[in-house]
Amino acid sequence: MAIKDILTPFTAWKKVFREPVTVKDPLNDRPGAERYRGFHKNELKTCIGCGSCEEICENEAIDLVAVKGYDTKDGDSGLRPMVDYGRCCWCALCVDVCTTGSLTLSNEYTWVAEDPEEFRFVPGAENKEWDNNELGWKKPTPNYEFYGQKRQTMEELHPEERDHSFIEMIKGYSKEQAQLEADRCVECGICIATCPANMGIPEYIKAVREDDMEYGLKVLYETNPLPEICGRICTHKCETVCSVGHNGEPLSIRWLKRYIADQVESADYKRILGTDGIENNGKTVAVIGSGPAGLSAAHYLSLLGYKVTIFEQFAQAGGMMRYGIPEYRLPYNQIDKDIDYILSLGVDIKYNTRIGKDITLSELRDKYDAVFAGTGLHLGRSTGIPGTDHENVYQAIELLNKITEGKEIHVAEKIVVIGGGNVAMDITRSLARLQNQKYGRVQMIATALESEENLPADVEEVLEAREEKAIVNAGWGPKEIEIKDGKIKGLHVVKCLSIFDAEGRFNPKFDEDNKNFFEADMVVESIGQGMDINYITEDIKAELKFGPRGRITVDENIQSDAKWLFVGGDIIQGPDVIHGIANGHKAAYGIDNFLKNK
Amino acid sequence: MEKKNKSSIVNIKSSIIDDIKSRFEITDIVHRRDNMTFVTCEKQKTIALITHMKTNLGFKHFVLLTAVDWIEDGKFQLTYILNNPKQKLDIAVRTMISREEATMETAHKLWKQIATYQRELKEMFGIDFPGSPRVDENFILEGWNDIPPYRRDFDTKVYAEETFFPRPGRKTNDPAEYMKKNLHK
Repeated sequence: MAIKDILTPFTAWKKVFREPVTVKDPLNDRPGAERYRGFHKNELKTCIGCGSCEEICENEAIDLVAVKGYDTKDGDSGLRPMVDYGRCCWCALCVDVCTTGSLTLSNEYTWVAEDPEEFRFVPGAENKEWDNNELGWKKPTPNYEFYGQKRQTMEELHPEERDHSFIEMIKGYSKEQAQLEADRCVECGICIATCPANMGIPEYIKAVREDDMEYGLKVLYETNPLPEICGRICTHKCETVCSVGHNGEPLSIRWLKRYIADQVESADYKRILGTDGIENNGKTVAVIGSGPAGLSAAHYLSLLGYKVTIFEQFAQAGGMMRYGIPEYRLPYNQIDKDIDYILSLGVDIKYNTRIGKDITLSELRDKYDAVFAGTGLHLGRSTGIPGTDHENVYQAIELLNKITEGKEIHVAEKIVVIGGGNVAMDITRSLARLQNQKYGRVQMIATALESEENLPADVEEVLEAREEKAIVNAGWGPKEIEIKDGKIKGLHVVKCLSIFDAEGRFNPKFDEDNKNFFEADMVVESIGQGMDINYITEDIKAELKFGPRGRITVDENIQSDAKWLFVGGDIIQGPDVIHGIANGHKAAYGIDNFLKNK
Repeated sequence: MEKKNKSSIVNIKSSIIDDIKSRFEITDIVHRRDNMTFVTCEKQKTIALITHMKTNLGFKHFVLLTAVDWIEDGKFQLTYILNNPKQKLDIAVRTMISREEATMETAHKLWKQIATYQRELKEMFGIDFPGSPRVDENFILEGWNDIPPYRRDFDTKVYAEETFFPRPGRKTNDPAEYMKKNLHK
């Protein structure tokens, strides 16, 4: 080594007092660009914990964790994303896929901490200095969506094509439409908890997407043995919490369910569902009523090997689904398709048999190992206002029964319906069709206590009733049916100001000075139905417990205090089809447990 | 005044495109903006085309070279974006090459910085540019032992799972399962 090599480095010392050319600490004044992708921000109140961010993350940088103060509830898993910045590559796919738009990226990209664990946190749950940064990456709008915001339009008969007859108005999806609709699902599963039957919704939607109808049908039957029926008339509570619905239209879950059931022929059901040759376990169960609860219980009990006998008061099975819901919403052949399959499992049904009249409940108790009662709400309630005893004042439910039975009913030229629920819309629209047939025009008015925005009927029911030229005039309390010379002249009403009092009890308040009169020569009451449980004799009643509104108290297995008696459907919950199905399903397992441990 | 500028640049562009068209077989002419147009040229003539554009049509500035993996068609798309600084005009030349034999003539003799782009494409897509300086050296992926990561058949998620271990103590919840535990009656 030459002496020069040793001395040369020291020549650098001559520069020691020179002005440095580099800038000291340049990061202080270098904010990220306007759309820079820096640390995450999350509006925890808007986030629903659907997990789409976790699902899309290619680096597995996101975990969903429980966060204090955010409980699991309908439509919100209560979970929130936690980001591991050791893995995040700042691609922002999590932001772009976010269903609620709660997740964004700030433009902050510098942060120093000594503990590596600090780089794993729940954005929005710890005060970070960038939480209020306005700048950063947000999902660009509009037209930058990973999934369609609009539903596939369901084709239906135009009002003038449907308002004279009872043919089904909803046409159903084509394969192409169904697949496009299914393609919008993010598979988060938030909907499952809201469905009373906890159906495997994302799984059957996936079956539609993959065009695997046999698998789809299997998924449906795991929790719901009436898919043709529910695919048409379910109250689809699932759709109210659909995560895609936060920034677009929710998935048409109900129509996709119908699509699957519509694609499979009855003849293939047993093969697909593997229900040929179920072994009988030698035990018997009696089911009272062939509505959704009874049919569901019978179905799942049969799969468990029980010999089930249903007792039905009417000439045909289906309960309210057949005798309440009009044919234009739920055609009889579709009811038959679901029911015939259940009967094909070896379920016996005794029609025109009323408990308490043709056979007693205690006889069933003695003859069968267990009894399930799903007798529904078949008694129409009356407003009790003056004039309701007139012969041309009817109960909606009794008229709907008669229409199903094909019996002739009185159809006046001008009719007022009292009630704003789905049954009221059913009778309004049924009578509108009959008026069209008889008089060539519709003069129907449905009036309800509830205001327009609080009408209990489904929005589409009200809309469709109006399309069929019925008038729905909300927010009126009925006072009196005016009768002159033995004939109904119309209904006097007063404005309804509120329905419930401060304690939430039914206690309507009226403005007596704000009056109205609906001309009519026939009035139909549709303000709800009550149960008829007179078939339960006093000795058995003594064994039971009753809760609010006279409902029989049951445990989580739908088992009453008379251990052999299980009770479900509208008489304990709902009223709607899907709660009945869920009750029947639970009862089947409850009965199985009860009999196995007996 | 503005209008005149706009129409004049469109005129200049269209005469340039006419010139290219008369000499090379170009297809898919897409006018993205007044001052930007995309053209597609077959692989064998692409370098000749951009040489002509640089030498005779004033496209002195090379903007970038990039690739797209059209895996369904078995093709890579290469895009050369060139700029004419005098006319303030961009023309992008696209060419499709086979995915199976992913090689392309090098263009580093036109602009020497293209060698760096080509080296990156070799690493990220596995597209070879024989003769390009240092094209086989690592660019940013040191010790990479998988298929090139910008190829669409590269599964980022699987790679991440196999290569990077989760931090100890990480736990996640499936929303549907979590709700089942907490809400299902």
